[in-house]
Amino acid sequence: MNEEIQIILETTEKVLQKNINHQLRQNIDQKNDDLINVWNEVEEIGLPKIVVKEKFDGFNLEFASVLPIIQLSNSLGAPIPLSETILCNYILSECDINPPEGMITFANVAKNIKISGNELSGELISVPYLNLTDKIMFITKIDGVEKVVFLQNSNLDIEQKKNFLAEPRFNVNLKNNNIIEIKTLNPKINFNYLGAILRSAQMIGSMEKILNLSIDYCSQRKQFGRPLSKFQAIQHQISEMAVELSASSAALSTIASSEDLSKNIYDIAILKIRTGIAAGKIIAISHQVHGAIGFTKEYELAYFTKNLNSWRNDFGNESYWEEFLGKDFLENSNKNLWEYLTY
Amino acid sequence: MSKFNFPFISETKELSNLRKEVRKFISEALINKEFEPAADGWVFSANPNFSKKLGSKGWLGMSFPKKYGGNEKTTLERYIVTEELLASGAPVAAHWIADRQSGSQILRYGTEEQKQSIIPKITSGECFFAIGMSEPDSGSDLASVKTKATKTDDGWILEGRKIWSTGAHLSNYMIVLARTSPASEKNRHEGLSQFLVDLSLPNIGIKGIPDMSGQRHFNETLFDKVKLPKDALLGREGKGWEQVVGELALERSGPERFLSHFCLLENFINQFRHVLVKSGSQLIGRLIAELQTLRRMSFSVASMLQNGESPETQAAFVKELGNRFEKMMIESLREFSNIIPLYEWPKQLQNLFEDATLRIPSNSLRGGTTEIMRGIIARQLGLR
Repeated sequence: MNEEIQIILETTEKVLQKNINHQLRQNIDQKNDDLINVWNEVEEIGLPKIVVKEKFDGFNLEFASVLPIIQLSNSLGAPIPLSETILCNYILSECDINPPEGMITFANVAKNIKISGNELSGELISVPYLNLTDKIMFITKIDGVEKVVFLQNSNLDIEQKKNFLAEPRFNVNLKNNNIIEIKTLNPKINFNYLGAILRSAQMIGSMEKILNLSIDYCSQRKQFGRPLSKFQAIQHQISEMAVELSASSAALSTIASSEDLSKNIYDIAILKIRTGIAAGKIIAISHQVHGAIGFTKEYELAYFTKNLNSWRNDFGNESYWEEFLGKDFLENSNKNLWEYLTY
Repeated sequence: MSKFNFPFISETKELSNLRKEVRKFISEALINKEFEPAADGWVFSANPNFSKKLGSKGWLGMSFPKKYGGNEKTTLERYIVTEELLASGAPVAAHWIADRQSGSQILRYGTEEQKQSIIPKITSGECFFAIGMSEPDSGSDLASVKTKATKTDDGWILEGRKIWSTGAHLSNYMIVLARTSPASEKNRHEGLSQFLVDLSLPNIGIKGIPDMSGQRHFNETLFDKVKLPKDALLGREGKGWEQVVGELALERSGPERFLSHFCLLENFINQFRHVLVKSGSQLIGRLIAELQTLRRMSFSVASMLQNGESPETQAAFVKELGNRFEKMMIESLREFSNIIPLYEWPKQLQNLFEDATLRIPSNSLRGGTTEIMRGIIARQLGLR
């Protein structure tokens, strides 16, 4: 890891550690001034534009190289759309749109999008953090051409989804809304691939935190006269969490050292599959070893496990990418498996 | 948390070229019918001629110094060669242990004389090793070994039994872990030593133990007051435990922990690709994701070994995940038989599948059980 990233990591850790506590996560689906204050601190150190081109006042870093920063901010559980903003601003910058100041979020799914003149209609599904921002980026196909759309409107017709997920999510009904900018998508950008990487890095950060919470809790909590961590049954379950986490981190390190992400579809699929599998196991084990306290809103475990449940389904779940990878090998390559693996 | 990190190591052009070279060698051997691909070839298929051929190619002990007949290649190069051999189901059992761990152990701890007399024979594929760790009463609890070596004026007297030693009946040497002084009350890892035992010495009895498939590969070895010369001691007296721990990192992190049954998977896919396209792409995608992640982790450990690090914990991660992957893979193929019934599979594939099914229970026992791996990881997490 280069020195520049190392310095950003240290600063990020300092700022987030100072500002984040579990109390902040209690009302994250509201318009929350405390969260906006956290955001302002984060913006002050320049994080939202680390992958933005210099001409738009960004740091011009590679998207792959900032994955450790996304991982870290999620291991600290910052309930602000930092990861989303980093990705949106990267895509906007690559498509020659000047990224806005402040928070911006993306729509995972855009349906029935129609554009006439400067007016937009259709539906945006499962958009995170519209309680904190009114800026949205999404990708849509217009007359067979992929376009990136940037939208800002404080009077959007939005419907809040049930708070099944840790970060708040909204559906948006677009009716003749004004577009701020629309441009043809830079062909090197694939939103679904980048989203899969982003969510995987976020999950890995969260899983690090979950593992640490489990270790700490089981070392402190005593039953039958000794700490839970002294029971072999507990030790083995927590070891399994570490094994799952290490496999996901290994898959992420492949992507993080990649020079051209658009050529790494195969490794992106592996990352999302491996991380999704790990998330499923880690959710189950961490709740099991925590007992009832982990099932409460007051204790912080569930904030992280709910996020995992949400993110493992974004941008293709395990089945989606397994199908993708299996087909890529079985149908699109004329290699045998060993040749395919060792390409 | 650095013990959980597996930095990505890319395969360089030189490594890819080596891979091609090994692949060509193997396909020629297959054309000449020098071997029949077999599952678990590093345990079950011993072929001293094939080992010798690998030695003459410079692919045994390839990272060892040239002055002992080695090739001074990197552990990454060795990794490539072993991967290719395992993936093809080649008969590598004869030399496997010597090449994987015993040679390195001698180079690390042995005397100049031991190195000169043994290492060149390992690299030429003419000297084979067995592991002398487990005993009838000491399995996972390795520090409880009772085999005893007593110092005499001109050497040592070795007494005891070793068990589950794969290939001992075909080997020239066994590295035996024995007690040389009683365990101290505080630390039972003290007082253990490693010995280089020439298996042709008198009073050594090697008896095969048929495994559940009826095949013989592992053995019980009886040492009945065997007289060992002074220089049979490997490394330092009383430091056997530390030495053994390092040896286990070599033993646990390699690709045999997830490629032992690869030739079954490859054969299966080649046979049923047309069916899998319609109804098995998700399964195959899952297997690819797991396998490729394991390959990267194991390659990363090879690089740590090359850098002189001690990746015992990372090795435990690889072994644990690898064992689990192989069991899952065989189970998935079994479930596929609801689409094409097993009795309609080609004979060779049926055999591979049945062998794998019979052998798979051992993958999470040999080289340290699942429970031991989890214990190592738990210690690293500060839980023990």
